[in-house]
Amino acid sequence: MAAHNVRRTPLERLEYAIIVSTLLFLVVLTVQPLLNLLAISFSDPGKVAGMSGLTVIPNGFSTEVWDLLINNSAVQRGLLNSIFITLVSTVLGVVLTALMAWALSRPGLPGRRIIFVFVLVTIVFEPGIIPDYFINKRLGLLDSYWSLILFKVVNAWYLIILVRFFEEVPKELIEASELDGANPFQIFWYVALPLAKSALATIALFYFVFHWNEFFRAMIYLNDQSKWPLQVVLRQFVVEGDKLAMVGVVESNTYTGASQINIRALKAGMILLTIAPILAIYPLILKFFTKGTMSGALKG
Amino acid sequence: MAVSNELVVNATMSRNGNVPRIRRRGLSRGMRQWWPYYLMMAPGLIFFVIFHYFPIWEAKIAFEQLRIIPPNIWVGIKHFQTLFSSPIFWQVLANTLILSTMKIVFFFPVPIITALLLNEIRGGAFRKFIQSAIYLPHFLSWVVIAGVFIAVLSPSDGAVNDIIGFFGMQPVSFMTDTGSIRWVLVFSEIWRSAGWDSLLYLAAIIAIDQELYDAAEIDGANRWQKIRYVTIPGIVPTIATLFILNAGMFLNADLNQVINFSNDVVRSKIDIIDTYVYRIGLQTGEYSLATAAGLFKAVLGMLMIVAAHLLSKRLTGKGVW
Repeated sequence: MAAHNVRRTPLERLEYAIIVSTLLFLVVLTVQPLLNLLAISFSDPGKVAGMSGLTVIPNGFSTEVWDLLINNSAVQRGLLNSIFITLVSTVLGVVLTALMAWALSRPGLPGRRIIFVFVLVTIVFEPGIIPDYFINKRLGLLDSYWSLILFKVVNAWYLIILVRFFEEVPKELIEASELDGANPFQIFWYVALPLAKSALATIALFYFVFHWNEFFRAMIYLNDQSKWPLQVVLRQFVVEGDKLAMVGVVESNTYTGASQINIRALKAGMILLTIAPILAIYPLILKFFTKGTMSGALKG
Repeated sequence: MAVSNELVVNATMSRNGNVPRIRRRGLSRGMRQWWPYYLMMAPGLIFFVIFHYFPIWEAKIAFEQLRIIPPNIWVGIKHFQTLFSSPIFWQVLANTLILSTMKIVFFFPVPIITALLLNEIRGGAFRKFIQSAIYLPHFLSWVVIAGVFIAVLSPSDGAVNDIIGFFGMQPVSFMTDTGSIRWVLVFSEIWRSAGWDSLLYLAAIIAIDQELYDAAEIDGANRWQKIRYVTIPGIVPTIATLFILNAGMFLNADLNQVINFSNDVVRSKIDIIDTYVYRIGLQTGEYSLATAAGLFKAVLGMLMIVAAHLLSKRLTGKGVW
């Protein structure tokens, strides 16, 4: 590699410059829209109207938009709902997936192959949203958080990933614990789980991102607006353009006139607020997802 | 406690070479040894039965006339006949196929090229910086991405129209333009996942034997020759696998994406099977017809995925699972 750097023709330098700038262009394409929204949300609300979609610098500075958002009751409820649904389903998902994966990873378990096929079928055959709706209706889960928490509470893909991981746990370790008189549950708790920390963290992040981003089921199963997670509030406000969902009927009158600017800034802030938890765990995502995907691809 | 200890001893004995003998003793002996593991699996298994298998049974309403007072009447393939004779269904099927084709043609090469470019970057920290940026949109919801695209494509103050305006052209309202909405879907898909997907190819590139590059270097190969004769041949199996798998998911044009990018003006261009099922089922209440459409897609989709899996396994040794 050192020899690599010795002689570089001008042509090679030009090539490298083109490669670097192409990639930097991709970075700008990815990040600029988000930075633009950030700039708009922190700008002086009176100056938002003329702002270009290209800028990344706030026009004036004000936290008014964020104050409005944070104090908005629809946003507060949405935030709490999202946090509740995401945390409960993540914890439940990790626990149930880990338990099932550990059992399934034990060689010699009678019926292991059949159960595998049983799980795989659910991946390739999905009967669709209408039967799914009916099952939730029958169970009385409509308008309940549980219709979202229980959706894919054991995700077949994550289950298989974890089974593959548990299969690598050295047999000697388990046999030693068995000789020490540990029962299967103790072995699971004291041997398997500690070894699987990074795999469990990966699965937990998968579940977290999945549930935080879920909106379709929340939209069709939750009629009660006070139960809506943040994604549905965001959708109502930004995608459907329903100002009343956010601003409220009373305030909407006082907003007219100045409303255009504020609505644009409010939308920007709302989008960023919905992304915030993902950004907060993004370093972890990079660490675990990237490693997981890389090793998975290498192993094949 | 004593009981479980006895079980552990049994388990240990069976692990120490007595397996065939224990096996022959029959199922009850097996159950005594394995019941804790079935207990561990129970919640998961129950979940799969209720939320995955029961809906399959529930899908029988595609063959029934629903009545307010049960029982429903069995009508055979009547709803499927209605479906296949409806022009909207064929339009929706065509949209699904068109969108999937556009996505495969225009999305598929982007992560490959991105990975090839990323691999040329020498500085580790610089490469990490680029990766951290371009992976991010993959973890955002379609609601958020639609919000971002509505802002970026806004005819009055969006970035794209600011650029178009700079060149003295008229602004275009891409989100409500029947000619451009499919491209908006393709680009938003690229924006969301091309970066992340490049990781799969990058992993394959990194797995290529470094000696091949050294040998090419000695032979005097330049950058492009190394890419052409070492890197690309090295990742062809990965490309083939992912291509087949993508083809297997052909009918799965993304419901979450389309729902958030759709509006009354452009609906006819991007209405796919899934949104059609959602609309006639949950919004209009034609449950049987909607279930029939969903079932049609599920069966066809299953055949395609299984075919893709078998083909991929045969050609590259890697399957879907």
